[in-house]
Amino acid sequence: MTATPNYDDEFDAIVVGAGLSGTAAALTMAKDGLDVVMLERGPSPGSKNVFGGVLYTPRIRELTDLSDAPKERYVAKKTYSMLSDAGDETSMSIAPAAWREEPHNDSWMVLRRDFDEWFADQAVEAGATLITETTVTDLIREDGTVVGVETDRPNGTLRAPVVVLGEGANSLVSEGAGLKRQDDRDNVAVSAKEVRKYDREKLEDRFHLDGEAGLAAHYFGDGAVGDAVGGAFLYTNKRTVSIGVVYSIEDAAHGERTPDEVLDQFKQHPAVAPLVRGGRMVEYSAHAIPEGGPDSMPDLVHDGAVIVGDAAGLVLNSGIHLEGTNMAVESGFHAGQAIADALDRGRSDAAALESYEQRLEESYVVQNLDHYGWFMDTAAEEKEFLFEELPHALGDATEEYFRMDDRPKDEHVSDAKSHILNASGGWFGMAKKAWKFRKMLS
Amino acid sequence: MSKAAPSVPDTPQPEDASIEDRLYTVKYKDSGESHLGIEVPGICAETCTTYECTNVCPADVWRAEEGGVPTIAYENCLECGSCRFACPHGNVEWEYPTTGNGVSYKHG
Repeated sequence: MTATPNYDDEFDAIVVGAGLSGTAAALTMAKDGLDVVMLERGPSPGSKNVFGGVLYTPRIRELTDLSDAPKERYVAKKTYSMLSDAGDETSMSIAPAAWREEPHNDSWMVLRRDFDEWFADQAVEAGATLITETTVTDLIREDGTVVGVETDRPNGTLRAPVVVLGEGANSLVSEGAGLKRQDDRDNVAVSAKEVRKYDREKLEDRFHLDGEAGLAAHYFGDGAVGDAVGGAFLYTNKRTVSIGVVYSIEDAAHGERTPDEVLDQFKQHPAVAPLVRGGRMVEYSAHAIPEGGPDSMPDLVHDGAVIVGDAAGLVLNSGIHLEGTNMAVESGFHAGQAIADALDRGRSDAAALESYEQRLEESYVVQNLDHYGWFMDTAAEEKEFLFEELPHALGDATEEYFRMDDRPKDEHVSDAKSHILNASGGWFGMAKKAWKFRKMLS
Repeated sequence: MSKAAPSVPDTPQPEDASIEDRLYTVKYKDSGESHLGIEVPGICAETCTTYECTNVCPADVWRAEEGGVPTIAYENCLECGSCRFACPHGNVEWEYPTTGNGVSYKHG
């Protein structure tokens, strides 16, 4: 932004942050004919944003034409692997044939810089205004109602009936204005990630890929992130591989290794090293992720303001499902619709914006968060079993089960069982654990 | 986690990049002014014994020092926010870099 035009009172809504949640809100409102401005602190949308990443696209595909979007590869295969720090790997691989057919289960590997910039362009084409390199520093309130924002630009005050707070995991404005409190560190994860570039043919050979097909690989256990609640990931893009670790800041705070060292250790695991050797690191990145689930969601609706995306704590980690960006888009969409409805009636108070919260509660976003809300707490309670004892026991059990020597197989099977039983605390312990984790697959 | 990486035969050694090599891949526009700070240095010097800011930082921004007050290499910062959440004393001052400064990812 070279000049500073006076935009005060020009807009129906101000969107703080042109990430996926903010842009979804802006696009929804712009399509409804509202005048919307997106304020992005980075040099371009996406330039401050990091995720794993797989983006699930049903809502985006409804909002706009996804065919020209900068997508990397669709998810043709998902793998889940338990890694022990002794070097064992026990994996499950899932590749339904239907995933190779359009629309590929709406599951795409993307890189955020390209994708977010494209998505923000869709909002601009629909009539929204985008202002970059502008940081919102505070909210303006009158009689308790949010009536605009302060920015770091000269004469940078902007007023509008509604402010959409899509600031991401570090929601300084919402917190500063008392709309939410900062999450506790046991509800937040830290992620460190590398993007590594390979010759495309080499990458496709290495991961058995063809065309646009891609692999989404997830790793758990002390071979992935050491003595911590968390996991690691590897996603194949067109010419690059995204590889990273995600684990609780509570564990990181007490850990002997920093996140970059945990990432190094993950890369050296015998299940991972052959997949990431060679190539060239083209980017290193890191971010915090709010994983507190339904209990740490703030109030989403305020007089003159709504909170969307990561700022609203909308991240799902059920051990099996790792979602956030789709929920960000969904929340932005519902917020945009609720705002359009409220402004139609000439209102922007919390009661009029309440339908955002209702829509979100009826959507899969809050339903899933509620359904899997137990998981992160239980995973933390059962940390030693889940992330240390189980991956080792599975490694030892499978080694025993398949052992070739002069003993009959039934003896090996019996020994293999005892590895699992010992780790689980016997039949009784196993029944208790099975009960605790019974909802993981349902 | 105390064990070293497992030594398993026929496992290649992937690139073990230094933090400097890693940060070299990231574009950083320096405003010349730190967006990070310490609310009350005395808390770091006298109360804190664990320096958890240094444990969670993925970019070697926070460095423990003799005398107890960590130094801050803010120009390494990836704006992840981990230190903000990690400090058990709530002693981390954390602002967004202004006017487009700070880290800028080309992939993300």
